[in-house]
Amino acid sequence: MSEGKFETVSSCVDNFQHDEQTFDNIINDEHLSTTWDRYHLIGDVLRNDTPDVLQLDLSAEIAKAIAAEPTVLAPKTTNVFMLKLKAKVVEFAKPVGQLAIAASAAGLMVLGVQSNVAQNNETILPSQIVKTIPMAGIAEPVSLNFQEPDRASQKQAFIDQQRRFHALLSDHQQQIKLGSLTVDSTNTDNESETTSIDNKKANKSN
Amino acid sequence: MKFLSYVLLLLSISFSAVGEESEPAKVWLERLSSALNKLNFSTSFVVVKNNQAQPYHWFHGVDESGKELEILSLLNGPRRDILRKGNVVSYIEPELPPYSVTSQQISGPIPAILAGDISQLENIYDFISVGRSRVLGRPAQLIRIEAKNNHRYAYWLWLDQQSSMLLKLSIVTKQGQQLEQIQFTHLEITDKPSESVLQLNETELPVLVDIPEEYQQQELQWDVNWLPEGFTKINANRHKISLTKQPVEFMLLSDGLVDISIYVNSSQEKQRNADFVMDGATLVLNQVNDGIEVSVVGKIPSKTAKAIADAITIKPPQKP
Repeated sequence: MSEGKFETVSSCVDNFQHDEQTFDNIINDEHLSTTWDRYHLIGDVLRNDTPDVLQLDLSAEIAKAIAAEPTVLAPKTTNVFMLKLKAKVVEFAKPVGQLAIAASAAGLMVLGVQSNVAQNNETILPSQIVKTIPMAGIAEPVSLNFQEPDRASQKQAFIDQQRRFHALLSDHQQQIKLGSLTVDSTNTDNESETTSIDNKKANKSN
Repeated sequence: MKFLSYVLLLLSISFSAVGEESEPAKVWLERLSSALNKLNFSTSFVVVKNNQAQPYHWFHGVDESGKELEILSLLNGPRRDILRKGNVVSYIEPELPPYSVTSQQISGPIPAILAGDISQLENIYDFISVGRSRVLGRPAQLIRIEAKNNHRYAYWLWLDQQSSMLLKLSIVTKQGQQLEQIQFTHLEITDKPSESVLQLNETELPVLVDIPEEYQQQELQWDVNWLPEGFTKINANRHKISLTKQPVEFMLLSDGLVDISIYVNSSQEKQRNADFVMDGATLVLNQVNDGIEVSVVGKIPSKTAKAIADAITIKPPQKP
């Protein structure tokens, strides 16, 4: 007899949900059913629920009485109805469970994002689009002996550099947009090209 | 007899394969150019760079009068839309009030030359047809635009076998490392231009900025002594960088496919070693030499940018 089975019995006694299969197993196994009795008794004693007179063999008496009763052969209408009801309850319960899982996952994600933001807070710099790569041989060694003002000025220089790079990059893109005007006038491949030049002249005369 | 038929079958298969593979890459690129100009398409693509993906919508159509209509919008972050009606291109960006310029092409993530005359590039680049693969669920032809020298990156294009439309574009180093990628995620080609594109005809575009030619062709106080073969000067002007208000002397160079900007200004610092960042394939290099700050920006390798920056010489002052 494994520990697991006793645990199952214990959880049944404690009113945890179990399927009918487990109950059947407990009922069919004599050893387990006596354990079931014993656990209930222990529980009753602990809760001070014991009746004045203990009738330990009550269940055996009832079992004997049931066995003596005649078998009733009748359609199980109520049972079928109960089964249907149960199936519906199960169906309803499943999506709720999935929702719960999804919700907990979302909770985790929110937690994760928040902690990420917290970590990044320290290193937020303006317009840091890309990492600076010093040309070969200029990278200075970083040491713990650096004094605070040095570090601050270094950081300032870094920020300045980032800002400069960012400004140059956007100006470059801007100039290309304006520059395409002159690029066109050197092209003479399309018929539509001539209209564009005409348009330019027209614009100028305006 | 059976053997002979097998041989014939094998021969025919290999011949047909060679026949398709050997179709010149230039023909593919010309077909792409015509597709980009003539087809009515609605597409979506993402630009992948710096471990980030920027999604775009791109619509193109030709209306009944034969006028090209085009919309390119960035879908994440602040609104960035580019509209084109014939030869007027409007830029709607967060940094500036909306404006229009006269141009045949929009300046977006996809190189404008792909819709233009590809033969301009023949002197500097080789067009190589590599092979077939599957992109966006379609059979695609891979065409490489490889620079003839080492100063540039290569452009790999995957074109739809059926429509010759662009399905994917990669900017790749000589070592084969991918720096930037444009992956199409949706492509719909229709007989008639889509509603959203036709609406452009009713839209009034922002004011046209007229830039006098003299402004773009100014005499600068410096010269560049070395450039990779094929680059020519497009513009030279003096302006202030909008974000830092730094006045600069500026030169825009192009080889048709790649644009390079050079910025020169005096600096308070005496000397600063060259430092660079990469935004995808776009490199920004900055250095200060003898109180002169030089910056080079463009889709070029760092060695090329450094060589250009080092080749800047200041002209001796002519007028006091």
